Amino acid sequence: MRKMRLHTTVNGREYTVEIHPNQTLLDYLRDTLGLTGTKRGCEIGECGACTVLLDGVAVNSCLVLAPQVEGRNITTVEGLATGETLAQLQEAFLDHDAVHCGFCTPGMLMSAKDLLDHTHSPTEKDIRLGISGNICRCTGYRQIVEAIDDAAKKMWQRK
Amino acid sequence: MKPFDYIRCESVEAACAALDTYPGDARILAGGTDLLLELRRPGMPVPGAIVDISSVHSLRGIALLHGMVRIGPLATHAEIARSALLRRQAEFLATAAGDIGSPQIRNRGTIGGNIMNAAACADSVPPLVALGARLTLRSTQGDRVIGIAGFFEKPYKTFARGNEVLTSISFSPPPPAARTAFVKLGRRNALSIARLSVAVMLVQDQKGTISEARIVPGAAFPVWKRVPEAESMLLGERPSVPLFSAAGKKVSDIMVGVTGRRWSTEYKEPVLSVLVRRALETCCTQ
Repeated sequence: MRKMRLHTTVNGREYTVEIHPNQTLLDYLRDTLGLTGTKRGCEIGECGACTVLLDGVAVNSCLVLAPQVEGRNITTVEGLATGETLAQLQEAFLDHDAVHCGFCTPGMLMSAKDLLDHTHSPTEKDIRLGISGNICRCTGYRQIVEAIDDAAKKMWQRK
Repeated sequence: MKPFDYIRCESVEAACAALDTYPGDARILAGGTDLLLELRRPGMPVPGAIVDISSVHSLRGIALLHGMVRIGPLATHAEIARSALLRRQAEFLATAAGDIGSPQIRNRGTIGGNIMNAAACADSVPPLVALGARLTLRSTQGDRVIGIAGFFEKPYKTFARGNEVLTSISFSPPPPAARTAFVKLGRRNALSIARLSVAVMLVQDQKGTISEARIVPGAAFPVWKRVPEAESMLLGERPSVPLFSAAGKKVSDIMVGVTGRRWSTEYKEPVLSVLVRRALETCCTQ
């Protein structure tokens, strides 16, 4: 199996690296680029811990073959904050105690970001649907839903 | 994941040529939501080559062309679920696509992959069978068109040849008076695999009499089919709960006749009856 060259933009930074074509996008982010914020969970697309944005939409990075992202834009949890300043969505997760063990959090944040980028006034149902591909075994989801609702209000100045 | 050759294709012609290079030993990669699971599953044969068609632009899009609805096989479940054209012309297909997996799966998984993977629980297939969809397959030998009802041999097995690429899914728009519904029962709300589903289409004339009916259960038969024995009970009748219940019972009876009684029958028999009734009722309340 020949190695191949892959060009991507991850969190605004351009990368050109040699990869094995049988790597997943998850392997590429964690093992090749060292971006371990994206979590390796079930690896069958059920738990959502590996969720990243591919050209702005949420995908399970465990189900994308790395060579398929040639030339594309990827955002991981590391791309949310600006320097030391957390994104409003991340602040809201802290304010609402939406992080317990934290393993699901990167995936939850990325699914929530996709939702809030496309829906400015989400209902509770929209939020629950938006994170329906992400499993949390600690919080019971209540705090996560509240955090996303709060972030939406702050981000889009809704009363 | 075991090693394989990776071939990225920018055109259908390139994909067909690549498939000919690896006769019987290549797999087509589109959204990857089924194939990547298979490639990692212990004991599954690993293909010599992965032919990646996910960047073939001509295989995208949902459009009305020469009076036919044409869906590119790379249309994702999310695109189908929010398509205004499909919401208008074949609402049950949009509903079925919107019920698949999770947001992440719907952003990535494609209708073409759903058809070609041929799992008995594939949610987009029952509506397509009810619509009488036609599939266009291309190889280096040329194009051929096949009706979707005759496309499946058994679960996970289609009549597509190993060197063919699905290039189009098309159907005639149902008459304006047609109403459609898709209902599914899974084990949980998100990411559920259909235990049973039903796609139905009903046309009523101006007096409310049913003039056309199509009923296609999912995950009930070895391969999908309409149930003419139940459809004919509805023709010339007006909608009623007893009528729809009787049609549901008929669909269950036919299923048991085909599959025989097995461990799941005690559950599936009453559930399928109710799903058929509910789907028919949904058509009449729109």
